[in-house]
Amino acid sequence: MSEQPPRRWRVTRRGFLIGAGLLGGGLALGATLGVTVGLPALHLAIANGLDGAGPPASFTTDPQLWFELTPEGRVRVAVPKVEMGQGVHTALAQIAADELELSWEQIEVVQSGSLGPVIDEGGTSASNSVSSLFTPLRETAATLRELLRAEAAARLGVAPTALSVAAGAFFVTTDPSRSVGYGALAEGAAAREAPSAPPLLKPASAWTIIGTSVPRVDLPAKIRGTAIYGYDARTEGMLYGAIARPPTLGATLRSAAPGSAASMPGVVAVVAEPEFAGAVAESRSAAYAAVGAMELEWAEQAPIQQEQIEALVQAAPGRGVVIQREGDVGAALRGATIISAEYRTPMAAHAHLEPQAALVDVRPDRVIAYVSTQSPMFAAQAIASALGREPQTVELHPTYLGGAFGRRIGADAAVEAARLSAAARRPVHVGWTRSEEFRNGYVRPPTHHVLRATLGPGGRITAIEHSQASGNVLLSVLPQLLRIAFGADFGAWRGARISYAVPNITTTAELADLPIATGAWRGLGLMANLFAVESFIDELAHAAGVDSVEFRVINAGDDLRGQRMRAVLASVAERSGWGSAAPQGRARGVACSIDANTAAAHVAEVSLKPEGGIRVHKIWAAVDPGLPINPDGVVAQTEGNITMGLSSVLFERLTVRDGRVAAGNFDAYPLLTMRDAPEIDVAVLRSGDVPYGVGEPPMGPIAAAVANAVFALTGKRLRELPLSVA
Amino acid sequence: MKLTINGIAHEVAEQPPRMLLWVLRDELGLTGTKFGCGIGVCGACTVHLDGMAARSCQTLVGQASEKAITTIEGLADGDSLHPVQQAFLEGQVPQCGWCMSGQMMTAAAFLATNANPSDAEITEAMGYNYCRCATYVRIRRAVVRAAAIAASPKEAA
Repeated sequence: MSEQPPRRWRVTRRGFLIGAGLLGGGLALGATLGVTVGLPALHLAIANGLDGAGPPASFTTDPQLWFELTPEGRVRVAVPKVEMGQGVHTALAQIAADELELSWEQIEVVQSGSLGPVIDEGGTSASNSVSSLFTPLRETAATLRELLRAEAAARLGVAPTALSVAAGAFFVTTDPSRSVGYGALAEGAAAREAPSAPPLLKPASAWTIIGTSVPRVDLPAKIRGTAIYGYDARTEGMLYGAIARPPTLGATLRSAAPGSAASMPGVVAVVAEPEFAGAVAESRSAAYAAVGAMELEWAEQAPIQQEQIEALVQAAPGRGVVIQREGDVGAALRGATIISAEYRTPMAAHAHLEPQAALVDVRPDRVIAYVSTQSPMFAAQAIASALGREPQTVELHPTYLGGAFGRRIGADAAVEAARLSAAARRPVHVGWTRSEEFRNGYVRPPTHHVLRATLGPGGRITAIEHSQASGNVLLSVLPQLLRIAFGADFGAWRGARISYAVPNITTTAELADLPIATGAWRGLGLMANLFAVESFIDELAHAAGVDSVEFRVINAGDDLRGQRMRAVLASVAERSGWGSAAPQGRARGVACSIDANTAAAHVAEVSLKPEGGIRVHKIWAAVDPGLPINPDGVVAQTEGNITMGLSSVLFERLTVRDGRVAAGNFDAYPLLTMRDAPEIDVAVLRSGDVPYGVGEPPMGPIAAAVANAVFALTGKRLRELPLSVA
Repeated sequence: MKLTINGIAHEVAEQPPRMLLWVLRDELGLTGTKFGCGIGVCGACTVHLDGMAARSCQTLVGQASEKAITTIEGLADGDSLHPVQQAFLEGQVPQCGWCMSGQMMTAAAFLATNANPSDAEITEAMGYNYCRCATYVRIRRAVVRAAAIAASPKEAA
């Protein structure tokens, strides 16, 4: 940890904060991060920010230090979002560099932690990082640019309007030989007042970095194996921790005693507290062995079985909370020819390949933590709460994340390492085993869907009703009052609402209270809900005798959302040769969605394997994220969403047996590998000048696209994941 | 006991018996080699023993003591990336990156024995390494590209 030189701060007009004197003549600039994020992000912020006791967390109003400009003219942008493979560091740096008129080589990314420079209570989730920060980041960058322009004008003795800017330097428009670089302006600009009027942002037509596929900033280190993740964090004098885990779901510690653990070789500390027991040792194996030697007594429940869980997840019309209502479905269905179907999706593991990990050093006056976390603020608060410290004394550095997919919005390993470090008075690393990961976290909830609809003339849906039930996605992390306020689990119903222009729609969400912890999994309810809805749309298309693409086009709305859905459908239809015959023994299926304001459509081409099972040969995908900041990044996220989604579609099913998760490792829970990975052809469409998320939305349609292709091939409608043709 | 890792000799304790992965990571600080499952299924811990791909979570440290051990930190020749690393970077393959050391070490050992592989041979060689971000289409493309770079180093742009 390098010591930062002291800064002198002034708050200027419009709440900007200017720091001078750092780095010998540099400039730092930030602004308060307003609540410019949309409601879904706010919901998640609430979910992420609470520890179950206090009032809803809000976005901080403390000053945010976004940029540092060095005398050499390099700009560091502090990003509050964590890099878990989605390329967010690169995308945010692109937005900043473009507005600041830097060349790409002049900017570097600094990961923000719990104490800044940029505080973000919202965490990194819900595909909202780029969309929520796009405007505040540009406004702050433009303010810095205009401060520098004022200083450059004074320095060059011309009016600010006489200057042009490029590649981190101002020059006199009529005499480009007269120029000055940002670095030389830093010290003078730091003494200036921020412009009183909001600066003009660059028009989209002037962007040079936004919209280009610059290479990811995090990849050189990942290629060389030098990128540091939570599991890799190391520090002088560190020890290793292990935790006593309940033998069955719901079991709680009745009593704990060190037993022979304390005298075992390499053991430094043994913790036997009510509801928390663990050991600290000089090696991981010694720590685990010590826990094994502790005297632990567990209060266990009657062992839970898979059938119990499935029986609890039962959707039915009229149950749950209404989350969408158009017209009068009941009246429209009365006496009509009703088409109905039921769908189910199973529980699934996150299976991020880096298990939960944290290194925490609890010192008398402060706590230093390195954590693989999606929610640095939440994790810092959880550590503070567990130790009885002030959150401001917890300096939490998020590391690179070895996958997350929703399983790192909690603070499991961070709190465990903190408690053990406090006991051992040494830095302690906790890194879960794969078995701990499978059996001690939370899982994607199982879902059940009942759909009913009736058709009118011309292939139009007259009425549609989607009744869904799911285990918790986000409600479990909310306090009781908010649970009541929300009624249904807003995470579970993501993707459940019908996005076609149907005059009569009812969608209901029923929350199933399950004896196993369930929670956020990439896209939340998105893939499950769209598997049901988009498979059912396909059933309706066949019932109507209308082509599956055409049926969707007919029923999509005339508004902008409908237009964007039609555009992605047209893209995949054209490129896949939709309507022409598939190669012998193969068939195609289509599905589409609009989620987090990103439209996506997939066409899947499938066959049956001679040895049994479904082979997905190729996926044609079209994604419209509004404005693609980094088109290759959008392609990468689309490929990943599709292929990770296929693992669920074809293989994954997590079950419970005799009170615990049946699978304890990948031998019993195989993931999709290259052997089943299809070819993927992605088109990225641009429909505007505002970016929307791509970290999850492209997963939406994949399950239904494949299921619909299997129906086209076999005439058999598969209504349960994973898809099985047996 | 002596371990030769990336050409450098390290002295490590002989006892107790333990897996090479944890000696590399926790004792020697070579954290580029990753832990994923501990049962040899996911491939994140893949290293080279005398040039052959091996799962270090299933390799007792004693089994590695007589062999030349190469980890991701030693795959490049100084500043000059290995063709597989060049291809993975050029193809912007990694997402989270956790599995990538294992992917690249697997690919490098494979290409050393098969300089011009077919698609099916690539699938067979790479088909036992998990990537949860599911970057398989890019891994496949990068392995093809790495073979081309290795065949004609001038191809490395």
